[in-house]
Amino acid sequence: MATDSDTIKHADDDLRPLIDRSLRHPVMFFFTSAAAWLAVALILGIVASAKTHAPEFMGNVGWLVYGKAYAAHLNTLVYGWGCQAAFGVIIWLMARLSRKECRNPGTILLVGHVWNFAVLYGVIAILSGGGTGVPWMEFPAAVWPVLLISYVFIMAGSVVQFRCKEGGHTYISQWYLLGAIIWFPWVFTTANILIFHFNGHPVMDAGINAWFKSTLILLFFVPVGVAAAYYLAPKVTGRPVHSYALAQMGFWALAAIGPWTGMQKLAGAPIPQFLPYVGAAATVLFFIPAVTVAVNILKTVAGHASTVAASPTLRFTIAGIFGLLALGVMGVCLNFPAGLRFSQFSIAGYGFEILAIYGCFSMCSFAAMYFIVPRITRREWLSRRFISWHFYLSAYGVATIVICTIGGGLMQGAAQEYWNMPWSDAATRQYAYGWGTTVSWLFILFANVFFLLHLLLMWARLGRRSQHPTLLHKHHSESPHGPEGDIDEIQAANA
Amino acid sequence: MSDSYQPIDPLRPDLDEGTNVAQTHGAVLADNAAISRERRVRENGMEPVSLWVIVSSAFVLLVAGAVLNAGGGLFNYNEYRVNGYVQRDAPGVGDSGPATAPIMDALVKNGSKVYSTCSGCHQGDGMGDGASYPPLGGSEWVTGDTEQLAMIILSGVNGAITVNGRTWNTPGGMPAQPLRDPVQLASVMTYLRNSFGNSTGDVVTPEMAAAALEIYNEKAGGSPTPPQVTEAELKADHGKMLSGEVMDPATVVDLETFQPVEAAGAAE
Repeated sequence: MATDSDTIKHADDDLRPLIDRSLRHPVMFFFTSAAAWLAVALILGIVASAKTHAPEFMGNVGWLVYGKAYAAHLNTLVYGWGCQAAFGVIIWLMARLSRKECRNPGTILLVGHVWNFAVLYGVIAILSGGGTGVPWMEFPAAVWPVLLISYVFIMAGSVVQFRCKEGGHTYISQWYLLGAIIWFPWVFTTANILIFHFNGHPVMDAGINAWFKSTLILLFFVPVGVAAAYYLAPKVTGRPVHSYALAQMGFWALAAIGPWTGMQKLAGAPIPQFLPYVGAAATVLFFIPAVTVAVNILKTVAGHASTVAASPTLRFTIAGIFGLLALGVMGVCLNFPAGLRFSQFSIAGYGFEILAIYGCFSMCSFAAMYFIVPRITRREWLSRRFISWHFYLSAYGVATIVICTIGGGLMQGAAQEYWNMPWSDAATRQYAYGWGTTVSWLFILFANVFFLLHLLLMWARLGRRSQHPTLLHKHHSESPHGPEGDIDEIQAANA
Repeated sequence: MSDSYQPIDPLRPDLDEGTNVAQTHGAVLADNAAISRERRVRENGMEPVSLWVIVSSAFVLLVAGAVLNAGGGLFNYNEYRVNGYVQRDAPGVGDSGPATAPIMDALVKNGSKVYSTCSGCHQGDGMGDGASYPPLGGSEWVTGDTEQLAMIILSGVNGAITVNGRTWNTPGGMPAQPLRDPVQLASVMTYLRNSFGNSTGDVVTPEMAAAALEIYNEKAGGSPTPPQVTEAELKADHGKMLSGEVMDPATVVDLETFQPVEAAGAAE
């Protein structure tokens, strides 16, 4: 049996690189193009944010007025960066966890290009004034079917892999991945059809749009981030998930709560009054899955502080988990009725979205990328410092943005209570916070330019050839990049 | 390869890789260093759930329940508004300045209240009782010179008086009415002149009423109970209109001061 077991072990060790090889082109394509879109989204975000406190900034550039820049910022962030990063993580993680090679990398790569061109067309349409004006859905109405069909082609392989996996067991990350795979088309199609193709009441359309934004976050971005965290934390520490029962409870809590959220944005609007309250209550309840996941992951890595500090993957994972925890707490604070008054019509809502997309999802995605890219390129990350800067600028940047937008939003909301004062007074109140947001976006842009550069170098297979991972230790006596490549020496010795 | 491949433990995904890098060097080292380093994903954690997770989740459940409760009936698609959702006024809101009205409306409305003093004798319809008390509707004393009307009200009437061609001689005459406020006096006079079928269409302004009170006081010479006027006296001394600026009945006035207000405030 020992020999059989060894044989199987060797076979399994061979399977893993085969899976990684089969997916290397689509995954690298999604990661690099996502990072490029992220840089675009950040530049647009800086322009949009600057206009909130310095309205004359680029005031005579017609295609960058606030309404266009802000819409293009969020749409590139969601569809350019968020979705593509999620696609890369999903197809790699699902293949690895289902132990199936990807059979259609060419199709995924091709359709990935379609997705990118659709996003590009949509962004150009927004900037040239052809946006629909529906938040997060500003792309012209012709774009969404293209995105949906591309999505189906990208994800079909992952669903098949899950269906055909050997053994009946489903790991917790697979629950989340499968949930995200199924929820995205449901949410996306429902919202787009109801808003663009059914002749519904415009007030209700606004409600559906608020539901779309909220459910896209809670039923797509958050599950993908959590799936990555549930994979990476046990993988890197070598410890089991703290409590598997808790993990499953967290998944089903999210599945039950997520679809109800969002309508609280329309509290007080003439829609059936229970809808906003159900939305608010569900968003408050999101704290439960958030804290469940956070406690589970944090307890899994508890006692491995040095590993968390040294491993780029684990460091980003834990940052993302703290983002998730903050998201749960913010859900409670901003949505019980006393808080809703102040957050409903202010930039606090934007802060919540950025916390979800950057603070939680993106940090977990970066973690997954730092884990996946060395495996599919067979090269180690080049620079410890690039990773450190990426981490610190991202973490402090997003924390500052969240504090500024939520703090400024509450100030703005309080000012709006004086409805007989000019509204510009309320807008003026968040000028200082707007400055903070702009500067933080600059830091995050700086971080992600390094990340994009690093990723492009890895994509060009210019990473280090070494047995040693790029860890965030300080090696005073060695090269700044950790132990230098020794593969060639070992190969020479073996030969 | 994949055809013959059997996982070590089919119940657990992705966990059966060698953690001993040295053992697998031969097969994978050169190309797959990162993969060789990977550790097992294990999932059999059976740690108890922390009490704090349960307590904080229960608290959040309570908060969410309170939020739901605030929303009223679930799945009631006909209820569109929450009671009390309308926001509180900011400080100073609702104080939209002094109340205003056209002077005719204001005086008539006010005068109808003052008239309750008169309606005991002259009746609610202002037509008297047909025996002792003369009518006010159609009376030339009411619709004629305002100074006569003011003196009748302020001093009362002694002896016979001819109203509408008929002589009325009520025992004791008409008692003096203790109206000393120009606005009250102006109100009741304007009311009388524009009610019960009378429609002079003019207003007796508080300024005119003040002039009437001056004439009355001069005549009384400080006596608290001056003698009532007679018909002859009225005709001889008081057959004229009261002095004072004539006002358009539609002039909008401040109801506190009865001074005309700016046109901007008159918009309502």
